[in-house]
Amino acid sequence: MARVFYENVTKAWGDVIGVNNLTLEIPDKEFLVLVGPSGCGKSTALRCLAGLEEITKGNIWIGDRIVNDVPPKDRDIAMVFQSYALYPHMTVYDNMAFGLKLRKTPKDEIERRVQEAAKILGITQLLDRKPKQMSGGQRQRVALGRAIVRDPAVFLFDEPLSNLDAKLRVQTRAEISKLHQRLGTTFIYVTHDQVEALTMADRIAVLRDGVLQQVNTPQHLYDHPGNVFVAGFIGSPAMNFFSGTITGTLEEMYVDSGGVRIRLPQNEVEQLGAENIGREVIFGVRPEDIHHPQYIPAGVKEQLIEATVDVTELMGNEIFVYLLTEKEESFIARVDPRAHLRPGDKVKMAFNSEKVHIFDKATEKMLATPKGTESAA
Amino acid sequence: MLNHRLTRLTRYNLILVFLLLVIGLIWIYPFLWVVFAAFKGQREMFTAGARLWPYEWVFDNFSRAWIKANFRQYFFNTVLYSTAATVIELIKASMCGYVLARYRFPGRDFLYRLILATLFVPIATVIIPQFVLIKALGLLNTRLGVILALSGGAGALYVLLFTGFFASIPEDIFDSARIDGANFFQTFRLVLPLTRPVIATVIIFQFMHTWNEFNIPLIFTFSKPELRNLAVGMYAFQGEYSFDWTGFAAGTVISVIPVLLVFLAFQNYFVRGLSGAVKG
Repeated sequence: MARVFYENVTKAWGDVIGVNNLTLEIPDKEFLVLVGPSGCGKSTALRCLAGLEEITKGNIWIGDRIVNDVPPKDRDIAMVFQSYALYPHMTVYDNMAFGLKLRKTPKDEIERRVQEAAKILGITQLLDRKPKQMSGGQRQRVALGRAIVRDPAVFLFDEPLSNLDAKLRVQTRAEISKLHQRLGTTFIYVTHDQVEALTMADRIAVLRDGVLQQVNTPQHLYDHPGNVFVAGFIGSPAMNFFSGTITGTLEEMYVDSGGVRIRLPQNEVEQLGAENIGREVIFGVRPEDIHHPQYIPAGVKEQLIEATVDVTELMGNEIFVYLLTEKEESFIARVDPRAHLRPGDKVKMAFNSEKVHIFDKATEKMLATPKGTESAA
Repeated sequence: MLNHRLTRLTRYNLILVFLLLVIGLIWIYPFLWVVFAAFKGQREMFTAGARLWPYEWVFDNFSRAWIKANFRQYFFNTVLYSTAATVIELIKASMCGYVLARYRFPGRDFLYRLILATLFVPIATVIIPQFVLIKALGLLNTRLGVILALSGGAGALYVLLFTGFFASIPEDIFDSARIDGANFFQTFRLVLPLTRPVIATVIIFQFMHTWNEFNIPLIFTFSKPELRNLAVGMYAFQGEYSFDWTGFAAGTVISVIPVLLVFLAFQNYFVRGLSGAVKG
């Protein structure tokens, strides 16, 4: 069991910076997900922690020791790779036992640990097989098993589900979450899939170009994104953004993009204050906060905005509607499947005026955020 | 319509198979002729013409070759030389390829190109330096001297094959081994079995090459004929005024069988070894 602490960690290859001055504390037993687009430095951060990459600056702590110069095998970590990284010529048993054999663990102890891990993962019947005789899902379980037998202080996962099909991904996702609960160990998990991040993490750290953008609980990140990048990255379909200005007075404040004009609720007016009136902003509304006028959920303070339907996508339990405002600003709404909308239809969409996220146009940082479903962490 | 096309294809294939059979027969005929000549008497061999099957089966040729022409000794030498040189080449090329593929160090590319450049050096030009070296080491007219000379080159082709194959092994496997705690040699031993296709290719190439090698075993054992290999030993059939052709044919059969067996044993990996290295 161990906490992990990235202390001002930078990893660079010449002029190319992989991780830029990362400071991040991961408490013992936490399931932290590092998320971000390709090339954001999330895998590099993980590899630095594993000792597979040497850091350029800063310190990495595992437990109460700095591990900058500690070789990977002595960091008390185990890693699960996207490609499974199983040794193809070895049986499942030998794959799982390999690390223990190198550590000169007694044979009966190896046997006990391998059998126990195999039982947890339901792969006991596969122990004599070789990787090529197994499916992707089975291989991934073996990779998990190989990590479990080491009984590490920290588990590292580098996009472990990316090679699985959609159904298996959902299933394995749940199994990893269960495993975390069962083992009660620190899990650090890298993915580019925000759904994985939202469903599994205790906390999510969002990275972009090697820089940590925000770290918090999934719900907090969703409700209160700290900047435009996080707002756009977390949530699917992504948040709709409009370029506009803050207008009006403290009594009646609006964000106005030309095509979309929304009166702001009191709590956001208080966050903005009078000094922001006239400021150029980017404001965002999530697709689920835009409704068809006939199917507005109870309690929503709506603001009707006229738009033209461009494309509709029926998802079964909802419809994604792509619309254009009078000023040709495009946005997406997730509406009730009973709503009958066809391309070309003119419709007054109901924006939830209490769910507007406002960011500074120049810095892209959050200026005002709506009330969330949880208290701000 | 489809049926018609299929029939045309089948007809085309039949013609192709027939042509290949004819070409194959032309190709293998001289070899078969030598094999059957090993079971013929001296007179029949000269009078049989292109005929393969002997009128009378003679087995004496083999015992003559094995005992009288000292093939027993040459066979042992050849097996020893070929096996030892192949093992040395395998160890050398696999380790060299491993380091070149997995490690970045100053001069790495230069070293790689230098090894490749040796592909273009005619083998005959290095025999004299090799001779001088082996002599200086006091290993002339010894089996060890022959083995070292046979396996002393850069093995450029083998290094090329191993480098390509090691480079094609996913990085994650090496990372995983590092986390498992494997050191340099343990990682090497871990991934070496993955290069089985290349190992098979090197065994086939090197074994055949050393088995058939003539110059080095002749030059390096000049004063000790009992250290010669089969290829040089063939000269035993050359008399002052005659040549023992059927004994020679029996000797050829004896010397070809092990090479064939090696090829058959490793041929499954052979193509994969070559294609894998090119891919890498």
